[in-house]
Amino acid sequence: MLDTLRSMISKAKADYADIRYEIKEETRIAFNGRELFHIGSNSTDGFVLRILRGGGLSPIAFTRPDDSERALRSAEGNAALMAGHLKRPVRFAEADVAKGMFFPEIEEDPRHIPIDEKLELTRSCNSIPLKYDRIATTNISYGEVIRERYFVSTEGSSFKEDLVTTSLGGLITSRDGTLIQNVRVGVGGSHGFALLRDKEEEFEKKAAIALDLLDAKPIAGGTYNVVLNPDMAGVFTHEAFGHFSEADLIEDSTMREKMQIGARLGNEALNITDDPTVPRQLGFYFYDDEGVKARRVPLMKEGVLAGRLHSRRTAASFGEGLTGHCVAEDYRYSPIVRMGNIFIEPGSRTLEDLLSMLGDGLYILDHKGDQTSGENFTFGAQYGYVVKGGKKKEMVRDINISGNLYHTLKNIVATGNDLVFSQTGGCGKGQLNIRSCHGGPHILCNSVIIGGV
Amino acid sequence: MEQLLEMARKAGDKAEVYSTERSSDGVSFEDAHLKDIDSSIQSGISLRIIKNGKLGFAYTTNLTNREELISNALDSLKGGVEGLFELPLTKDLPVLDTYDPSIEAGGNSVMVEECARVCELLSQRTKGQINISAHRSARNIKIMNSSGTDLSLRFSSYALNAQILYAYSSSSVNRPLVSKTFRKADDEYLGYLASSYNKSVKKIVPDGKGMKVLFLPETMYVLTWRLQSATSGVSLYQNISPVAGEKGEKIVDGKISLFNNPLDDSIPGARTFDDEGTPCSLFPVIERGVLKNFYYDLYFARKLNASPTGHGFRGSISSKPVPALGHLHISPGNMSFDELIRSIDRGIIIAGALGAHSGNIPNGDFSIGVSPALYVEGGEIAGHVKDVMVAGNIYEVLKNVVEIENTVHPSFGGNFPAMLFDNLSVTIKK
Repeated sequence: MLDTLRSMISKAKADYADIRYEIKEETRIAFNGRELFHIGSNSTDGFVLRILRGGGLSPIAFTRPDDSERALRSAEGNAALMAGHLKRPVRFAEADVAKGMFFPEIEEDPRHIPIDEKLELTRSCNSIPLKYDRIATTNISYGEVIRERYFVSTEGSSFKEDLVTTSLGGLITSRDGTLIQNVRVGVGGSHGFALLRDKEEEFEKKAAIALDLLDAKPIAGGTYNVVLNPDMAGVFTHEAFGHFSEADLIEDSTMREKMQIGARLGNEALNITDDPTVPRQLGFYFYDDEGVKARRVPLMKEGVLAGRLHSRRTAASFGEGLTGHCVAEDYRYSPIVRMGNIFIEPGSRTLEDLLSMLGDGLYILDHKGDQTSGENFTFGAQYGYVVKGGKKKEMVRDINISGNLYHTLKNIVATGNDLVFSQTGGCGKGQLNIRSCHGGPHILCNSVIIGGV
Repeated sequence: MEQLLEMARKAGDKAEVYSTERSSDGVSFEDAHLKDIDSSIQSGISLRIIKNGKLGFAYTTNLTNREELISNALDSLKGGVEGLFELPLTKDLPVLDTYDPSIEAGGNSVMVEECARVCELLSQRTKGQINISAHRSARNIKIMNSSGTDLSLRFSSYALNAQILYAYSSSSVNRPLVSKTFRKADDEYLGYLASSYNKSVKKIVPDGKGMKVLFLPETMYVLTWRLQSATSGVSLYQNISPVAGEKGEKIVDGKISLFNNPLDDSIPGARTFDDEGTPCSLFPVIERGVLKNFYYDLYFARKLNASPTGHGFRGSISSKPVPALGHLHISPGNMSFDELIRSIDRGIIIAGALGAHSGNIPNGDFSIGVSPALYVEGGEIAGHVKDVMVAGNIYEVLKNVVEIENTVHPSFGGNFPAMLFDNLSVTIKK
């Protein structure tokens, strides 16, 4: 395949060209309540070609090999059109040539597990919540996505890397009369099927929370001091800060003025890093989708902006080093700047310390849904507890948080001594990144705006 | 496809082949300068086989190996997914005007020049940063089944979305323009954007109490999403629809009529049949506040012993059809947009919503960040407000609509007018 790809781009009239071919193998098993709704394994494939010519960069995605000539001509035409209209020509930062075959560390390759075994595991976990009367339904599914990526560039890069993602989870919905509540459950990661075994306890725990929510009180809108659990802290990092570390989002924005390296954006308790090379985490990869080796990037040190995430284009534009964060969802998309494993570095406090420091406020746990636009972000929590005098009290529901990049990070005043990475992802920055991983310790954050219902 | 269908039919009792081909181009401008041009040529085929009352499903991007696709579908039969529905025989459908061949003429330079022109005209009227994207696509779909259905449709679409951004933010005033082929943005469009932005540049920190709230067409999807969830055959089957058993009952304000109209070919994407070959029709969901219908695909119609309503649509070739309302309209009201604004003593306009997906959708709850929130005082847009959240439950909120705009606009999720409320919870950070 690498030879075929080399042949395809050898005909390109370009200063630089690259082509990525992917085979995407998917296995999905989905239950709606007790009923099996979907089961199957399928394979799709396609190409993404990029042409850089005269300062114009243009990608094209295509699925049929027979369309390669048409795609090449189209991308060349688009690059020429861009070159005539750009404010400044696109340049690529210099990158080392990537060569080799790369495979993730896998515990039980899901390709070798019979689908019947996957079905039984899914059925078994799905049945856990359904044994309770007030659980109205579930939407639990098994997902397995294997991307076999082949990459060739006119600079001499030529490599194959496989990415294996497995997940088991979904939605548990409870009901009491007209009141309907739901929680999400999810386990999985990037290193094999073994991750999904022996997770019944997680399904039991989440079923209990779905039931407890039926008796929880809705939270009133207002401004609160809060302790966030590691999952919420991770999402908080992703939404409140991570997206603004993605250089493509601020390259031509007035936000770039405020996002200068060295700017103080957060409390000095805050250290944030993105590192796709953390072994066995969801966001792990060796090379990104433009053939740049992934590396650890300190993004915030003691509240001061210390780095950002780049493609070859944005690294050249900002005059900063390559990071290897240009990633595509699959063969249908050209790569864009994405987070890999972003996390808040742990501090020294225990959860009890943080609750004690909080005094009166909320302890909120496990995200559901999140979105960013410019400096504003909003995300939901699945459940929370009122905290009084440093002690956890009754459960509350309907918690949605909103914040602002320029203020909220300064209000993270203490970090816990634990660190947990997410096992499932789904960031939707134009494309879905199921390997978007976030992590953090418990954190204490003051003056958070909560919408209530 | 014919050969694949024949082979699949022999392998099972019933079979259906669905194929799609799509070519598209996108152009984006940031800070009034060309940033990206990208293109895509995508194809795919999905196959359903029903055998002994069980459903098998498979898909691929390139039909290089028919036997393998059929084998994948047969393998998935072993899971035992129920497939008791009949595949429809649909023919002699009305012809809609869904494709304008001029969409494929002129190359991407037409979109680049139009974006540059709109940037120039807007920059003469406003100091805000201007970002614009334009997109064109042509798509074929074809569906054949063992009952004898053989339908195909070709569509074209063009969309332009101009944004004027607030400083140090990517929050913006924006509005999409859509049509079946390339269309120049007119003065009314440019005037709306420039005027809304220019009046709202000033940052204001008002008290959130006693505010009216105006949802723009661009954010009405926050509310309709919950209604779509409640009226879906899936929710009904899973016993999580809060309006199950209320068909014929008044569930929202009598000013609200919500219907699905796939047959409206004045806008892109009109359909005479859904992705399962069931005929589409003008379909009332709520009429003058009264719940009229739930919507189904073949699978959930069979499960609920109802008739399919022509709402089985696929997100992509890798997805099986599920019930979806893809052509929503809300009937217009009586006031022009300017009259609506003038009727507000103190309020905010929800010009962008964050987190519409994170509230409790089945229960009808929403709790959104507003970005941007335009502030209205004394019947005029007076500025914008930061750090605002608006929350409510649609079954409370929609019971009392103050007024509805007299024009509908193509927006994300459907064709909607602006809608004014005075009963939402507004929280503003001090």
